[in-house]
Amino acid sequence: MSVAVKDPYQGYRGPCREVMERFGITVWCEVRAKTTQGLFEGLLLPRSETSDELHLVLKLGVGYNIGIRHDTVLELEKIGYREARYQIPEREFPTDPAHPNVKLLGTGGTIASRLDYRTGAVIPAFSPGELYGSVPELAEICNLETEKLFGVFSENMSPEHYLILAEKTGEAIREGYDGVVIGHGTDTMHHTAAALSFMVQNPPVPIIMVGSQRSSDRPSSDAAQNLINATWAAARGPIAEVLVCMFGPTSDLYNLLHRGTRVRKMHSSVRSTFRTLGDIPVAMVEKGKVTPIKDDWRPRRDDREVTVQAAFEEKVTIAYYYPGMQPDVIDAMVEKGYKGIIIAGTGLGHVNRLIYPALARANAAGVHLYMTLQTLWGFVQMQVYETGREILELGVVPLANMLPEVAYIKLGWALGVHPDDPEAVRTLMTTSMAGEMTEREPHDGYLILQGGIPEVQAFLEKVWR
Amino acid sequence: MAQNTEPSENRGVRPPPDVNPRTDPALDFPDKPLQDMTPGDYQVLGYMSGLEVHQQLDTPSKLFCRCPAGCRVRKVDAEVLRHMRPTLSELGEYDRTALMEFKTKKEIVYLLERGTVCTYEMDDTPPFGMDEVAVRIALEMAEMCNLNLVSELHVMRKQYLDGSIPTGFQRTAMVGLAGSVPFRVPELGVDRELRIRQLSLEEDSCREVSDVGHRITFRTDRLGTPLTEVVTEPELLSPHELQAGACLLAQVSRATGKVRRGPGAARQDVNVSVAGGRRVEIKGVHHHRRLPILVHTEAFRQLNLLRIRAELERRGVQRESLSIPEGGLPWEVTPLVLDVSSLVRHSNFQPARQAVHRGETACAVRLPGFGGLLTHPTQPGVTFAREIADRIRVIACPVHHPFMTHSDLGAESLSSQHWNQLARSLGAHSGDAIVVMWAPREDAATAAREVLIRAEDALVGIPAETRQAFPDGTTGFERILPGPDRMYPDTDTPPLPIPDRMVSEVRARLPEAPWVREARYRRIGLDARAARVLAVAVWADLFDEIVPAEGESARRLAGVLEKRIPFHSRRMRGAKPRLAEELPPATRLAPAVRALEAGEILPEALTRLVDELLENLDRPVEEVLGRYRRRPGDEERLRAALKAAELRAPLVLDGRSPDVKLRWAMGQVAPSFLGKVAPLEAEARLIAALGVGLEASKEVLPVGDSGGSETRAGEVSAEPAREKETLP
Repeated sequence: MSVAVKDPYQGYRGPCREVMERFGITVWCEVRAKTTQGLFEGLLLPRSETSDELHLVLKLGVGYNIGIRHDTVLELEKIGYREARYQIPEREFPTDPAHPNVKLLGTGGTIASRLDYRTGAVIPAFSPGELYGSVPELAEICNLETEKLFGVFSENMSPEHYLILAEKTGEAIREGYDGVVIGHGTDTMHHTAAALSFMVQNPPVPIIMVGSQRSSDRPSSDAAQNLINATWAAARGPIAEVLVCMFGPTSDLYNLLHRGTRVRKMHSSVRSTFRTLGDIPVAMVEKGKVTPIKDDWRPRRDDREVTVQAAFEEKVTIAYYYPGMQPDVIDAMVEKGYKGIIIAGTGLGHVNRLIYPALARANAAGVHLYMTLQTLWGFVQMQVYETGREILELGVVPLANMLPEVAYIKLGWALGVHPDDPEAVRTLMTTSMAGEMTEREPHDGYLILQGGIPEVQAFLEKVWR
Repeated sequence: MAQNTEPSENRGVRPPPDVNPRTDPALDFPDKPLQDMTPGDYQVLGYMSGLEVHQQLDTPSKLFCRCPAGCRVRKVDAEVLRHMRPTLSELGEYDRTALMEFKTKKEIVYLLERGTVCTYEMDDTPPFGMDEVAVRIALEMAEMCNLNLVSELHVMRKQYLDGSIPTGFQRTAMVGLAGSVPFRVPELGVDRELRIRQLSLEEDSCREVSDVGHRITFRTDRLGTPLTEVVTEPELLSPHELQAGACLLAQVSRATGKVRRGPGAARQDVNVSVAGGRRVEIKGVHHHRRLPILVHTEAFRQLNLLRIRAELERRGVQRESLSIPEGGLPWEVTPLVLDVSSLVRHSNFQPARQAVHRGETACAVRLPGFGGLLTHPTQPGVTFAREIADRIRVIACPVHHPFMTHSDLGAESLSSQHWNQLARSLGAHSGDAIVVMWAPREDAATAAREVLIRAEDALVGIPAETRQAFPDGTTGFERILPGPDRMYPDTDTPPLPIPDRMVSEVRARLPEAPWVREARYRRIGLDARAARVLAVAVWADLFDEIVPAEGESARRLAGVLEKRIPFHSRRMRGAKPRLAEELPPATRLAPAVRALEAGEILPEALTRLVDELLENLDRPVEEVLGRYRRRPGDEERLRAALKAAELRAPLVLDGRSPDVKLRWAMGQVAPSFLGKVAPLEAEARLIAALGVGLEASKEVLPVGDSGGSETRAGEVSAEPAREKETLP
């Protein structure tokens, strides 16, 4: 996302641009606009490219922006020029030899950000100096190095990015950093977390993914707390795994460290959107302290040995089953050359009879078929009902309690690693590598409190939610 | 912090100036109470003030989400805890208010109730589209103020780091600019336009529940309610003009019939300055009648701060002597501050001593050249020391009170021996002042810095502040006055074009402005006072619906409604009417006015008739009317009544004066002929019948109605004089 600084009509096109040209006005001009609506004075701001081409945007002396429609303009008079250069105050990030060293890899997202006039959107600010300028607490935790790998929004992350990210993570570990933090947009953070969990094996130091649900340009943002806690977990935490570090409750209290293969974004916008499914989170992080709440985590090591297997087969998909699904949906995927299909089935792992023949054809064509659950919680158990047993016979392999998205990432990775060895792929898929399948689901691994019930009400009155 | 503006040409777009245009403070002007001040006195002071009126709009739902608006709840379902961090404005600068709020390190707790709050108010969901009803009402108000309408609303984020809005900013959009309304207040000799700077549409903030130490708690039911903010130019030149201006704006918004009423639905911020001073904002004044004393007090506070500045200048006090390096504990980085916990521990001054025993830190700050100025009065019963204490209270958030003392108080707190000891340790001279405060260590460090910052501000004169109003008419520091740097565009909301169609619809249905209404009432024969009152009365629509004929009918009806509607409303509901729905239907009253206009009843009967119609709502109108209508045979019955009175008078009132006789006789005769026989006629005929002297008839006897300006004696006493005050 590069800003075309030289364009004097940033974002303006069509009739507005004509008006500007007619009166010799460019963006950042301070103008007096005589209009049919009266007189307006302000600084002419760039226009977001996604907004219409009919309005000029003026920033008034009192700080407000207003829009003036082009056909109301009678005259524009230039009365000044004041170009804003938006900059996060940058100060040199202080280093302390006694502090651990952390590498922050940037993928985009809103961990630290600034406003972009062109789109009216928030764009990331990232250098250690910029970060120090907005979150000075980081300097008390570690010595920070940053590297911006991509500038993509989370939804634009793709397998090619996973490969680079995995290699760069491995590199940072080998270079001796005491922890890696990865700044990431939240939408697909759990996909990337899963990819790194499989691609970066047995890391000696924490690999912490972090983002923010409220952009960092706002006072109430969760970004600073997330970044502080993620950096702490990476620099000084004891757990050497791929973990997602995001808000525990919606209150500014503590963060949770979720295992990269069990975590999922569960709400479009709340701060506490990331939840561990089918298990409990690995740890809590708060005010310079990582408190494990599970006991099966891999501890930090002093060595720098790590295995990076960066590979991905892109012809893998998820078929989200729905009643009435037609077999041609499956056939089409096979015809288009898909090598693996993760089915998100109903209940214990079911699809309707109608698509059986299509599944059989897919199996015969050598397409890998795996069953996961739309219910997200619970295990695929295809021996319970006849339906399940029938589907098993069609060559569909159950994946226990692996989350559908995790199964998708894992299959893509397994096929990437073993493009010509179906048995090896199958073995990888059915063996838990990084907690993606667990042997047991604790009673509190599924805990969606139902609002309105007296005992839940009583609980909510006692705690900050 | 980088300043990111390029050197610009001399002309250009700037925020409105915050400094009073006159730089010559009237230092010699004596402090006088409000009631002794004349408009000329305020002119000498260079007093100027402007208003920012916040008015909740009466919409079913909130501005950016579909929660119900206007609910007030006490129930709490859940709580969330948040903090605020300052962020950068669009132009790359931190706002100074934001930085101040960040120093307070507040924990902010929001109380949630399921019915009135959703994840939007909790700042856990982006905004939904702006409520169109609210946009239309805002346009309507902007039109009534003759503002230049913008063609596209841009939602901005106006930062508030005090926690009153969970996002840390208020979403607000400019609707119109540069308008005016006619401003006519004959009793103040005002007859001009009141210029309106702007009108914006914004969301309301939370209601504060408590603010103790580092924790502030808010209720969220009000949060998000649509609100208009109308800002006037600072052209209100006396406290009473200010009050009148506030009343006028309230009338404008009420004329729409679409604004909320009741406690907190309309709140005023006032900007005040005097010559040599600068804009200070007094926040959240609910009642217009409180405005004059608050701004009067503020004017003299500014004057006194300017006197203090003049004295500091005379003493040659320099800014540099008060400055302190950034970072570190103040008592370690400047000789102006000392940690005096050990001295205070052994003092006899209980509050400080107890604080140190609680583990708090006591520190002393030397203010070079401030000796004697801390007891300089600033407001009635308030000295300059409170300016300092307020900063500490708000920014360092001490829990225990008092938290400060100073050397100008002499031995009232610490002993003279201890003060002397402190002075020696701080190297203080006789012309210096020493402030001692105590708080938890980190807060004490913040406090010490704030003391020096406020002292430095004294050299500038008037710090740019927002101040809160106290019940006694004084004000206290609330926060540093924010600048335009706290505004940046809301990236969650696309610009909203205002279609021409919407504007023309609003224009077509624009309510009649109070001043237009007033002129119309004058034209149909009401006197100036009656027209002004009626123009802004709740019953104005009722009056219009009855369509009284020009002249006497209109005058009578206006008078009767003004007197009797509040009375009946209070009788039935215990309060004056605030809404048109609380009024009787026009159909109940119109027939009486028609009868009056047709000459079927005499005007004197109208009050009584209206009373009966409103007291007996289930009685058919015609039945009530019938008793007052003129009928054939009235003359015979009158003659009979006169005869009866004539016969009975000697028996009842033998030997009494003719005057008493006449009164008695009128009492016997007139009531049954109300509406049928004019009181003067009845009187004349009684005089003739009784043969009493002419001297008795000189008085007008209190019978019936004389145009609404008089009522029955019993009713007058039932309406206390304060009802004249119709201001909210």
